[in-house]
Amino acid sequence: MNLITARAAPLETDALTLMVEDHVLLDRATLQVERGEVLAVTGGAGAGKTALLGVLADQPLPGVDAAGRARVDGRRLLIAQGGQLAPRRPLALQVAEVVGHHLGIDLRSALRRMADGLDRMGVPAAARRFDLPPEQISQSLRWACLFAMAAAVGPAVLLADSPCAGLDPTVRLRLLHRLADWARAEGVALLLAGRPEDRVDGPADRVLRLRHGRLVPDSAVPPERSAPASPPVGHEMPGSALLRARTVGMAYPLSPGPKGEPRELTVLHGVDLDLRAGETVALLGETGSAKATLARALLCLPPPTAGSVAWMGRDMVPAAVPAASAAEADQAGLRRTRRDLQPLFPDPAASFDPSMTIAAQFAVALESLRPDIPASQRALRIAEALAAAGLPDGTAERWPAGLTAAEAARAGLARALLSGPRALVADEPAATLSAEERSGFLDTLRVVRDHHRLSLVVATEQFAEGLRDADRGIVLLAGHVVESAAAGILLTAPLHPYSRAMLAASRGERPALEGDAPSGLAQPAGCPLRRRCPLARDFCAQAMPPLEEVSPGHRVACHYWDAPEGGAADGA
Amino acid sequence: MKDGDPMADFEQPPLSPVRQPPQGGPSTVPQAPRGFARGLSGAAVLAALTLACAAAPLMADGSTIRRLDADPVAAALLDGRGSLSFALLAAVLGGLAGIVWALLAFLLGALRGDPARRRSIAAAERLAGLPLALLVPAAGGLFGGLWPLALVTAATAAPAVAVLAHAEISALTRAEFLNAARAAALPEPAVMRRHLVPNALRPLLAAATLALPRVLAAESFASLLGLGLPPTLGSWGASVGLAARLGDPLGLAPPALLLALALWSACAVADAAVAGSRKP
Repeated sequence: MNLITARAAPLETDALTLMVEDHVLLDRATLQVERGEVLAVTGGAGAGKTALLGVLADQPLPGVDAAGRARVDGRRLLIAQGGQLAPRRPLALQVAEVVGHHLGIDLRSALRRMADGLDRMGVPAAARRFDLPPEQISQSLRWACLFAMAAAVGPAVLLADSPCAGLDPTVRLRLLHRLADWARAEGVALLLAGRPEDRVDGPADRVLRLRHGRLVPDSAVPPERSAPASPPVGHEMPGSALLRARTVGMAYPLSPGPKGEPRELTVLHGVDLDLRAGETVALLGETGSAKATLARALLCLPPPTAGSVAWMGRDMVPAAVPAASAAEADQAGLRRTRRDLQPLFPDPAASFDPSMTIAAQFAVALESLRPDIPASQRALRIAEALAAAGLPDGTAERWPAGLTAAEAARAGLARALLSGPRALVADEPAATLSAEERSGFLDTLRVVRDHHRLSLVVATEQFAEGLRDADRGIVLLAGHVVESAAAGILLTAPLHPYSRAMLAASRGERPALEGDAPSGLAQPAGCPLRRRCPLARDFCAQAMPPLEEVSPGHRVACHYWDAPEGGAADGA
Repeated sequence: MKDGDPMADFEQPPLSPVRQPPQGGPSTVPQAPRGFARGLSGAAVLAALTLACAAAPLMADGSTIRRLDADPVAAALLDGRGSLSFALLAAVLGGLAGIVWALLAFLLGALRGDPARRRSIAAAERLAGLPLALLVPAAGGLFGGLWPLALVTAATAAPAVAVLAHAEISALTRAEFLNAARAAALPEPAVMRRHLVPNALRPLLAAATLALPRVLAAESFASLLGLGLPPTLGSWGASVGLAARLGDPLGLAPPALLLALALWSACAVADAAVAGSRKP
């Protein structure tokens, strides 16, 4: 033992074991966080992250028994899951209470320290509205305030449980990097716990994974998904488009204006998309990018308000408009289209009727989509679909409310496979899953796709994950396509600043975008990204850049995609 | 400890209750909705009250069921027959009226466009905010009679039921499983028949139970003023009012307690029904 290295790490555990009744949640965990070190602990839902942080913060969850040793030197702070502040109390009072409680200072000094902390988190001065209650500020600003509050207190150890969960990846990574920078500069031991797909490991110096009750270094774990052989699948690329969408637009009615004139909110602006046989297209974008709206429009659930969606040359939109007293022929055509084109929903559990068993719902769907299959064959068909989705036979007799999130996701996949479709349109199909469950489900989806030679459209905010198995990616921003290219190009050399930021965030790096995405009701004129963009110049406010081809198959909508990053921000 | 946890006052403690271990098999014990125990005890109390009131004539010395010479408890139980049966009648009428109101709003929306639906429900919302219970004694004073009183009492409860029923149905019409059914090419009438209607029944019934405590309270209030049920029927409110006027604490306590108990249990049942029908 070298006595000269002297000061012990502020956070240290030795053979810490957590038990819930007789189940071991965490088995003999030994970890150490030095001053100025950022440690990430990742694990799926229920892995025990919250219980671990609870014990370290000296407020163990009820029912959790701890054995072993956990030592924390100095002041410790826990930012709990969800990042709740009292929703209706002005921020200033809450800051004063927390900071005042720890440091014994008055409101004015507390707010000064808080303002300092907000500077550290990159919150612009205009956004500092201390008199607002937290329920009136955006979620990302609330997280920034929590981080700033922690910075104002200046703890020796800061524990953050699922920080920034639910924020867009670029916003989340920007805040996490800011927090990590602060911790390193101030010599704070920072422990970030979160789900692996949230990339809390991005800013960390060291990553531990919580798997099956053991804390293991990241490198010791095999990569979550065996990377697919890199031309993803050997399907024949060219071919006529199965699904052809032209100038698809979606607008929602708003309440009439002051003079009674009808108003509407256009969320999707004339998007073109072709889906060829066996092709996988990823729709990428963050909140408000209308990727989910586009996915639904492709399914005509509901049909788009502008443009056309044709499946094998047959336009689905007229038949799918509910009010249209469509002719029988149209309905039959729509039925055939639906048989070929099936959805995966973002919340699979909610997509099952709670008052029917899985088998009953599947039978209804099968009866409607495949009247050619005799009733006696339906049970067999259902069993096959469940098996293909990796579910045991008995699942058919269960009720939706009894399914876990992973089972519900697989049941959703099974339902989509029932009719023998040729294409799936998936909207965040794994949004409810985490870690191993998530990768397992995505693997199944890939296997099913390859086995049945399905075309696939996946809408997702996980840039790298969405592109990994895709042939082509389409990046959406506020209802516009801003970049479209082969997946390999988007993964290595995207050109649009938005795509670059999403790629950086999905790798855990610091994205070069500031601020939040603007609300759909208050889009800036010109390019919707210009207030966040590192390349923005005055001209960006004047016109939405057109989508232009910069190399074969690679199209970008940015006035300055070829400008070097960073040099243009001053409008020179 | 002071140092331990700073933000605990402001952040709800992390609280997903500790999850079941993944290996241990997911717990399949369904979680009872909030207020379930209270609703269950409310239902039990209500059932016991109803039985006791129904059996009250047996307790009144066999021969006579004159209220004035019966002992106060038996008299209060006899009164309960009037109060409870009137409340049941008015609640059924009011619940039905509220549900029909909500359904008509949707029908109107389908025929005349969404603003028409919103206007008709906004009207219900405004009415539900008014002290409609005052109409009940007014109606009792103006018309007397059982049926006019029942209709007016039902009408005072209907707007609140309509608002809740409308909220429940519109939440249901946005449910994802309806989209899943449409993706299976089910025509709209089949989607309604197979998925919407079966799932709407429970929330609608739950909304209708809201009417019970409201009509019970309104009728008791009117009877307390002497403007409610005809004296031949008997009512807790009327007995309380009479005992108060006569300065008779022994006569006042039993009907007042029974009325309070009935109101509490009706509220408990309605709350639990509404909470239980809502998806988490």
